[in-house]
Amino acid sequence: MNKAAKQAAIGLALVLMLLAGVIPVQAAITGLTGTAFDLVAREGYISTADGSSIYSWGYASGAGRMQYPGPTLIVNQGATIIVTLKNELPAPAGNVSIVFPGHAATASGGVAGKLTQEAPPGGVTTVTYTFTAANPGTYSYHSGTNVGLQVDMGMVGAIIVRPAGFDAMNPTAYGHADSQYTYENLFLLTEMDVPMHNAVASGIAAGAINVDTTAFFPVTWFINGRSAPDTMLADGVPWLPHQPYGAMAMMHPTDRVLLRLVGGGRDMHPFHHHGNNSLAIARDGKLLESAPGLGADLAVSDFTITVLPGGTVDAIFTWTGEKLGWDIYGHLVTDPLEPGEYAPDHGKPLPVQLPSDLEVTFGGQWSGSPFLGGGGSLPPGEGGLNPNGGYFFMWHSHNEKEMVNFDIFPGGMMTHVLIEHPSVMLMEGN
Amino acid sequence: MRKKPIRITSLLLAGWLLVAFAGAASAAEFYLRADVRQLTMPDNTVVTIWGFALDADNNFATVDGTVTSPGPMLTVPVTDTTLTLHLKNNLPEPVSLVIPGQIATMTPVFFTDAQGRSRVRSFTAEAPASGGVATYTWTNFRPGTYLYLSGSHAAVQVQMGLFGGVKKDAATNQAYTGIAYDNEAILFLSEIDPALHAAVAGGTFGPGLAMTSTVDYAPKYFLVNGQAEYTMTGVVPTIAVGSRVLVRFLNAGLLTRIPELLGASMTTLSEDGNLSPYPTEKRNAIGLLAGKTLDVIVTPETGGVMMSLFDRRGYVSLGTANGGGTSTGQVIPGLPAPPTTGTVVQGGSGGGGGGGGGGGGCFINTLLN
Repeated sequence: MNKAAKQAAIGLALVLMLLAGVIPVQAAITGLTGTAFDLVAREGYISTADGSSIYSWGYASGAGRMQYPGPTLIVNQGATIIVTLKNELPAPAGNVSIVFPGHAATASGGVAGKLTQEAPPGGVTTVTYTFTAANPGTYSYHSGTNVGLQVDMGMVGAIIVRPAGFDAMNPTAYGHADSQYTYENLFLLTEMDVPMHNAVASGIAAGAINVDTTAFFPVTWFINGRSAPDTMLADGVPWLPHQPYGAMAMMHPTDRVLLRLVGGGRDMHPFHHHGNNSLAIARDGKLLESAPGLGADLAVSDFTITVLPGGTVDAIFTWTGEKLGWDIYGHLVTDPLEPGEYAPDHGKPLPVQLPSDLEVTFGGQWSGSPFLGGGGSLPPGEGGLNPNGGYFFMWHSHNEKEMVNFDIFPGGMMTHVLIEHPSVMLMEGN
Repeated sequence: MRKKPIRITSLLLAGWLLVAFAGAASAAEFYLRADVRQLTMPDNTVVTIWGFALDADNNFATVDGTVTSPGPMLTVPVTDTTLTLHLKNNLPEPVSLVIPGQIATMTPVFFTDAQGRSRVRSFTAEAPASGGVATYTWTNFRPGTYLYLSGSHAAVQVQMGLFGGVKKDAATNQAYTGIAYDNEAILFLSEIDPALHAAVAGGTFGPGLAMTSTVDYAPKYFLVNGQAEYTMTGVVPTIAVGSRVLVRFLNAGLLTRIPELLGASMTTLSEDGNLSPYPTEKRNAIGLLAGKTLDVIVTPETGGVMMSLFDRRGYVSLGTANGGGTSTGQVIPGLPAPPTTGTVVQGGSGGGGGGGGGGGGCFINTLLN
């Protein structure tokens, strides 16, 4: 995408953030922890960044609101997990269920469906799903009932299994050092066929749903249930009550950011992360290793990762500015190196002469300096959206028609990583 | 789905000679007839398809064998290195046969269009319309799972149903060298766009006609092993924990499908007959692109858990959805209903009340038929 559009997208997001008085931090994954989870299928209206509302179904936690995606379940390896499900959707919605790809789950209660036990409407009957979180990694859960309809309606969520011996101060995704990370981010990728949602809403009002799921044609796209620029807002902002999860990554140079990518919808999405390649270390909760214990020796370096629906990919992203050909810190040759700085470029000047303030149009993220953590004098009213002088890189679906909100670019399946100077403190979680 | 390989080996050879030359001098040979058939879909719509029938008497002297789409699953015996297919074409346009991934001498057919341009219309030699015959030979046939397809007017003929599967093992119960299996299942996915079929059958498809191309392709029926509403008739219900089930996936449709397995993982072996250098990666969901074959091994690890396989992209015949999971006409492609009977697996808990109305046993309910 062109620079102006990118700047506009960032600017819009940051204006929203500043108006809300929140700082976009998303360095840890928000979710529910424990071994027992009570989920309830409920209806609700999600919001898209263009101001639309979409009738949706989703999994709520206990008495909470329907949410899209469903609660991220964060559990420990080896634990026995019990998930109960009740169905408070209106009667025409029919039965609902949950399946757990990658886990050997059993089900009891409710009524028999095609894939698993289902909860009929009424909010009374409880289905209980039980599985052992046998292996660490990233997984999803989703409806096993009328998959083509209910997944699109919003009935999908993520599961993270912490490895045995997990140490939050020195975390790994899989126990092995190859999966060590500084920060982790969830990117659950979905799409919605909004006309189908409208038809479902009409059907419920009329007493019977009659939609043709073979005519599936998505028109809006999401990361963690939000469309850009809402993806860059913090978790739990009060004006997105059904969409609690943000998708903005933040890091320092040399940090290892774990991308937990989940294919949540019916389509595949090529997730393209600017800034650097990442190393895909695992798929579907299995470390890419040629033999057990060898670590991620089959890891793949790439800049576009396509996650299959129902599948997951874990990738490690890092960034140091290596081989840019200039010193991102603006050092003199005699200055000391920053930790992890790419030494061959130390002290190399920026290879262009910056234009004067009278010769440029300003974007909100221009700090006044090209250097990381830098700043400079700006004309009144300019800048201000990048107070720490960080670097923004866009992460988005490389199927660019998916970077829209109802045909308006930019939006949809798009977010950013913000790389901050080592002296800037990042806040974990919310 | 019967296989009828004919081994052309000299009966005069002494036993030691047979052993010495086994594999070098034998060939599998099949007689296929391309023909029309009417199929009734779950909503009672009658769709005209094109398909293949295996000729029972191997000489095309009589019209026999049932036309199916996919066509008969062909097996090239382990010891055979050459596959020969005889094609008789009872369809109204020329038909040919190709097997992507296998080596054959290709002789494309050209024609001169109305503007005098030489254009190709077939990847290889054709059996002429309305009764013509042709013979195709593939030498050094490689182990693996492959599609055979019409190589003529493929945009229409393949969608009309002119495809099938062919497989060969590297050795007895070895899909590839060193890759053993205990049991085998074939899941052949395809699609039907009834409007396209009606136009082709009714003579309204083509330049200047009501339907000019396949650009508006919109499948409404999603078939598994040729059934628009897949049932478990004849399914082998149980798989022992620790056993290795080879599943051969073939996709002759035009959409990407995502088989997702619940209750166990799939170890990916190969794509398009090409063995992975590390056939160890385990998946919950695999990408079965149009025209692709995938071989996986499923090994149940947990007893008492039902395994279910379905299309994670959610394509179901008719796509009518009332929200419930049991509505009439609702099918899940690649996945029949849970078994009504089942046997407790070896090593399984055998506890009743397991998911999905099974008996608590470990089923590969979807995979074997």
